[in-house]
Amino acid sequence: MAAAGALAAAAIGLVALVLGLGGVAGSAWTVVVDWLVPLGGLELTLDPLAGLFLVLVGGVALPASFYAAGSAERSARGALAYPVFVASMCVVPLAANTMTFVIAWELMSLASYFLVLHEPEERASVRAAWVYAVMTHAGLACLLAGMLLMGAWTGSLRFADWRAAAPGLGAGARGVVFVLLAAGFAGKAGVIPLHVWLPLAHPAAPSHVSALMSGVMIKLGVYGLLRAGLDWLGAGPAWWGVAVLLAGTVSSVIGVLYALVDNDLKKLLAFSSIENVGIILIGVGAGMLYHGAGLEGLALLALAAALYHTLNHATFKALLFLGAGAVVHATGTRNMEAMGGLIKRMPWTAACFLVGSAAIAALPPLNGFVSEWLTFVALLQNTRIAQPMLNLVFALGVAGLALTSGLAMACFVKAFGITFLALPRGDAAARAHEAPPAMRAAMVALAVVCVALGLGATLVVPALVTVAGALTGDRAPVAVGDWLTLGVSGGFATLSTLAIAVALGAALALPLIALRLAGAARGQRRYETWGCGRMLQTPRMECTATAFADPFRRVFGFFYRPEKRLDITFHPGARYFVQRIEYANPTRSIFDDWLYRPALDALRSVAHRARAIQSGSANVYLAYIFAALLLLLALA
Amino acid sequence: MTATANLLAFLGLTATLLLVWRQSWPARLRLFAVQSALLAVLATAIGVLAGKWALLGVGAVFLVVKAWVIPRVLWRIGAGAPVRPIAPGHSSGIALLVAGVLVVAAYVIMLPVNRATELPTEGGIPLAFAMALIGLYLCVTGRDAFGHILGFLVFENGIFALAILATYGLPSIVEAGVFLDVLVVVLIMEGVVAQVRREHASTEEARLRELRG
Repeated sequence: MAAAGALAAAAIGLVALVLGLGGVAGSAWTVVVDWLVPLGGLELTLDPLAGLFLVLVGGVALPASFYAAGSAERSARGALAYPVFVASMCVVPLAANTMTFVIAWELMSLASYFLVLHEPEERASVRAAWVYAVMTHAGLACLLAGMLLMGAWTGSLRFADWRAAAPGLGAGARGVVFVLLAAGFAGKAGVIPLHVWLPLAHPAAPSHVSALMSGVMIKLGVYGLLRAGLDWLGAGPAWWGVAVLLAGTVSSVIGVLYALVDNDLKKLLAFSSIENVGIILIGVGAGMLYHGAGLEGLALLALAAALYHTLNHATFKALLFLGAGAVVHATGTRNMEAMGGLIKRMPWTAACFLVGSAAIAALPPLNGFVSEWLTFVALLQNTRIAQPMLNLVFALGVAGLALTSGLAMACFVKAFGITFLALPRGDAAARAHEAPPAMRAAMVALAVVCVALGLGATLVVPALVTVAGALTGDRAPVAVGDWLTLGVSGGFATLSTLAIAVALGAALALPLIALRLAGAARGQRRYETWGCGRMLQTPRMECTATAFADPFRRVFGFFYRPEKRLDITFHPGARYFVQRIEYANPTRSIFDDWLYRPALDALRSVAHRARAIQSGSANVYLAYIFAALLLLLALA
Repeated sequence: MTATANLLAFLGLTATLLLVWRQSWPARLRLFAVQSALLAVLATAIGVLAGKWALLGVGAVFLVVKAWVIPRVLWRIGAGAPVRPIAPGHSSGIALLVAGVLVVAAYVIMLPVNRATELPTEGGIPLAFAMALIGLYLCVTGRDAFGHILGFLVFENGIFALAILATYGLPSIVEAGVFLDVLVVVLIMEGVVAQVRREHASTEEARLRELRG
């Protein structure tokens, strides 16, 4: 049953991939089925941007579904929700009117809700699903309000009509709609401070679902932002771009800070998704600002960088989640403190995870490096806008992006190192086994795509520039270098990942060849790791995940506000001997403490007061209805 | 036509007022059946006089559902309860007074409608609306589950009469849907009342309060 669902999803993914590639290549069509959906019928339109996101859905759904089909878990739970989830994600980018969009969007949310509620017996799982449902529906409320307002003001619920009518709307009206839509989409994208559902929901869901949620679903929030900010409402005032850019900066820095100190492998990846959405939004915000300032070449560059990072994050985050799933499956825990040494037991998974980690840490010549480089290059040319305040915003973006890149590197050194290197820290890790072939194949496929997207940058970037051009309505060709070298903005910067790959390969191979030529001894010696001269080496001597993150916890103490919990049990005989020490150093979320907790408390107190009208008497309830009816009739 | 419609609507309202006045539930049930039968005649009469033959069918179905099936179900709901609520201090005086006020209110609220329409049946519209309002009032002040259900049904009858008088009946599909809804509501209420009675040995309003969560 579960395998059938996964295969159905794979088939849907394949169709989406083919259609999406066609869309990116320039094919366009519209399908209208009037009777299927009320208020305008079902209307699907393929354009380059929709095509790109279809590629994203299909490209991740395909390996994730094979992974699911090949995983040993044979529970029927989610067998229906999973293909529905994939199918609804395919419809979202194609939707061409409000009803189609909202139905697909809600179907996607509901299906993923059921998938998050994977283990309904566990409290954490139920809570994660609950928080997810609340946040996603709060977002839907914002979206609906924005879309219906736009519908009322333009007299149509079709997106194509909005496009035509938007320039005629007042600045205030467009601003209101933009804020509502942006809030709804940002919630889905996991932009801080609307991110709270993400680190709960991703670990709770099965790994192939986490891969899709993180790789694709939150990207549909980015898709919505792109549509709202550049397409449906036309080019907006500068503050739209500033808001998106700053939100992206804050999300990227805070996301990676949280990722750095979390010891739950899947939670770490979830926080890292927040960071990467931040990076994407930095690109989107910059694109909006350039577009508003009339610098079309730079706008296309920044948007292409954002789209590139969207594509890249989908591949490497899906890869990492699938890898994490294999690890969790093998060890039975998500706690990194209980892992270690898995590289020896699970070499395939480790190799794939390493590729994903290197890519997400933006190491050349992999794909993450190219998109972050493009984002930097786009941001650094902000001096062509002669407005000091905007330049300051760009500078903040550059600084945030730089800090994020560094911290992300540390974060994935930790993720890979603590999980896969050194000695196993627990029995489960010591007894871990490699993932089944189908799961390995899925991971290898995604790893290959990561490498290909890095090495093939000179092919990908022109395609993405075309997609961005179709979005902003600027179809003038932009030169982005030749087949070997990316060269942007008329030689402002150049990059050749192929050359870097060759150079790195040569740097690795040449010494070996030189040694061989020099006649060095070829014998291998195996010896245990140097242990500072100690006789005994045990896993307890290893650096733990907490210890690795400790320097960051201290440096950013003002943000983490860590608590120190020291619990010492003394020997009953003499207090000078310690029997047991327990040390915990949990961080506190400022968003929980300062934003959500007070808001929830206020809501609860209002609800408590509102209980007064709930007397329990049916007469009184009916009287309310009667009174309301009479009042309405009298007013009518 | 005007005279027939006005007369039947007036008789319907009289039945409603009697319903407010009477205390014993079998009598109220009979009055409800009478009111329903009057409205079925109203629908048939308007159907004949206005040449809307579909209304004849509606009238027939209305007669079967409201004057026969539902009273039978209500009889089952009421069976076993004391004929008159033994509650000193309750008289119908205040209730009748309020019903009178509601009739006036119905006329006031329907003034703009009457001004806007030129139908031969417009004289009956405020009467039908008063029936609906009084039904809702009965529903609000019902002392037990039976009273609530009866009030709801009278309210529904009022709405039906309003529809017949104001638009010569709704499209048949809507009427059919409404009949089915009402029937289902009554059947469900029968189940609920049986359940409540089993739990509390009474369906009095004061005891229903204990169901509060």
